[in-house]
Amino acid sequence: MKKNITFILIILLAFVSACGVDDTSDIQPTDSYDRSALLVNWADNIIIPGYANFSQKLTALEVASEDFTQSPSAISLDGIRNSWLDANIAFQKISMFEIGRAQTLNYRNRLNVYPTNSQEIEGYISANSWNLELPSTIDAQGFSALDYLLYGLGTDQELLEKFTTGPNASSYKMYLLDLVTTMQNLTSEVFSDWNNGYRASYITNISSSASGSVDQTVNAFLFYYEKALRAGKVGIPAGVFSGSPLPQNVESYYNQTVSKLLLTQALNATVDFFNGKGFSSEYQSNGFSLNSYLEALGSEKNDASLQTLINNQFQVAFSKIELLNDNFIQQITNDNTKMLEAYDELQRNVILMKVDMLQALSIDVNYVDADGD
Amino acid sequence: MKKILLLSCFISIFLSSCDTNDDSGLCCGPDPIIAPQNYAFLRNNESTVKFTGQTTRIFMAEEIISALKNNDTQTQSSLLAMFDHQEGAADFSDPELNASGKSVRSKTAASSDYFSANATEAAEIKSMFDSYIGIQTSEVFPNWNTVATPGVAGQIADGSDTRYIGANGLEYNQAFAKGLIGAFVTDQILNNYLSPSVLDAGDNVSNNDNDITDGDNNYTTMEHKWDEAYGYLFGGVAQENQADPLPSIGQNDSFLNKYVGKTNSDSDFEGIAQEIFDAFKLGRAAIVGKDYDVRNTQAAILQEKISQVIAIRAVYYLQTGKLSIESGNFGAAFHDLSEGYGFLTSLRFTRDTQTGTSIFTRSEVGSFISELMSDGPNGLWDVTPATLDTISEQIASKFDFTVAQAASSN
Repeated sequence: MKKNITFILIILLAFVSACGVDDTSDIQPTDSYDRSALLVNWADNIIIPGYANFSQKLTALEVASEDFTQSPSAISLDGIRNSWLDANIAFQKISMFEIGRAQTLNYRNRLNVYPTNSQEIEGYISANSWNLELPSTIDAQGFSALDYLLYGLGTDQELLEKFTTGPNASSYKMYLLDLVTTMQNLTSEVFSDWNNGYRASYITNISSSASGSVDQTVNAFLFYYEKALRAGKVGIPAGVFSGSPLPQNVESYYNQTVSKLLLTQALNATVDFFNGKGFSSEYQSNGFSLNSYLEALGSEKNDASLQTLINNQFQVAFSKIELLNDNFIQQITNDNTKMLEAYDELQRNVILMKVDMLQALSIDVNYVDADGD
Repeated sequence: MKKILLLSCFISIFLSSCDTNDDSGLCCGPDPIIAPQNYAFLRNNESTVKFTGQTTRIFMAEEIISALKNNDTQTQSSLLAMFDHQEGAADFSDPELNASGKSVRSKTAASSDYFSANATEAAEIKSMFDSYIGIQTSEVFPNWNTVATPGVAGQIADGSDTRYIGANGLEYNQAFAKGLIGAFVTDQILNNYLSPSVLDAGDNVSNNDNDITDGDNNYTTMEHKWDEAYGYLFGGVAQENQADPLPSIGQNDSFLNKYVGKTNSDSDFEGIAQEIFDAFKLGRAAIVGKDYDVRNTQAAILQEKISQVIAIRAVYYLQTGKLSIESGNFGAAFHDLSEGYGFLTSLRFTRDTQTGTSIFTRSEVGSFISELMSDGPNGLWDVTPATLDTISEQIASKFDFTVAQAASSN
């Protein structure tokens, strides 16, 4: 109800502004917060270092995938599995920034749609033919497809047989290499765009219209938090949207021990972004963030400062996530209530951020809930 | 609703006080029509409600819209045969549908009021659906494994889903499915079965007045016609729940039931499903009670509310498509705009209860479609937010809802 009313207001506002002004890119910020410094902090201390780090991890994964396919062994398998996890963790730090080239490439979906379609993958491998550029192959690529190939083919010995003496061994190898190369290519396209011009236009686009960088980034951040983190990692497998749990939909279904790790990494990245924390000690924050923006505006809810409420709520969510088994399939099967409780606490921050924070920042939501068909 | 009941009660009390032939001593006159709790009506202790023909046609339509996406098994001729099914032909996976002599195409743009003397337009609309099948099989199917670009049919990503579009960005299976909600379902309900031209045809009134049932059936023809209208909305409901169908509203088919459900879940229009159900019940009770004024009032309520649902969904999809266009998400935009395209064509079958004609003329609907597809050479690839707003406003201006209210649905 409240959500709907807010949404109506947003649409109405969008209308009023669309009628009044022809070129919305000229709208200047209505408050005195230094949006330019905010965008510089996001680009230079969080996003670009995040992509640099992820690119490095992908390069390591590429090397490991070459090692593994050249000489599949217990040791090289161990190596590629470790690189897969390192890269996956690094990905959780940048997954939320689906703007610019990442948005046009449908980047997050290309790299991390789950559950993966193992049947489809096996079909491509046995036919020795596939095209990862087709949107319909989106559930046969990225981290979850690698998860299947590295953890989902039986015992380690059975897996190694598929890559060595099995009838489709060369096709398995080619597919694995193509998965990694595709992830690498997509990432370098996004990363090099940031380094070649996009950063410059990003930090100067301080307009408070829907096309302004702050609006775009905050919308991407919220969409990520609501759909990819809250729903994808917790709500969907816990059955929030389906009535009954769907444990087969957890992130990292085959390497079951890391689902919680990936969630906590993602939530850490979310909290760090909210607080404008630099990527590492090398990239110290300049102090500008959503947190300090709300502080500067003096935003309050129920007599408490909004940024404190949001940060406190993140901590409550963490405390519920800490109670979960590392293995979400076991958690959902044995005691799904704890998953649902974690979901509820994550959901509370959807309200605080999507409704209260956006209202305070005068940002319109640019996405709607999918129709479902 | 209560007001109408009260009013008719009041009127009957008033009339009865003047009625000198009253021999009951108390109140008098015809009883006020009271709807039962469920859509359940009996004669000689057996149900008089039957709409299996509507259920059959809805199931046929479900198979067709699903087959439109089966590029590896379907051809133009197999799809056209499904749409224009002939008795006994093995068009469907369900043998009962194959055995049936009914078809979807024969009830497309086929209402008594709008098309009985308008064969030219009826033929055009039928061939519009034929052409969707033609383009799907000649343009989209061959490009099934091509990445779509402006002017080139193929696949496009919509989040983690894949959509299959023509060169102009249109998903023809969506245009087909959402178009049928108007041309097939809504047209049959509003302009055929709820119309006096059908309800009162032939001896229907005198037969109903005298409880003369239709051959061996347990219903009068008028009762049955009304039930057939009901069946186009609730024929997909599991049989045991058909008398009490609201708990699952929205989940029973991919056509009107689904979108009455979706409209009802928007707080701006909450209760519309109940209003529609209540009007169906009271109108049917009025036929049993032989009170044709009450029946006609309920028919008008149904025509108004169902027309509203079509218009709300048209505006909703144009507006969600607009948001996606603005954020550069073409895949999501095209999916919504293709649904919107279908609902736009469905506007032709809405009904103004004052005039008994469509709320939108044939040429108005034609203009909406041409505005939507003509901002540039490549159809939906080029459509601008301004165009989507203009069409939305033109639609909403004919109703009591605003563009913003329709856009906030889900």
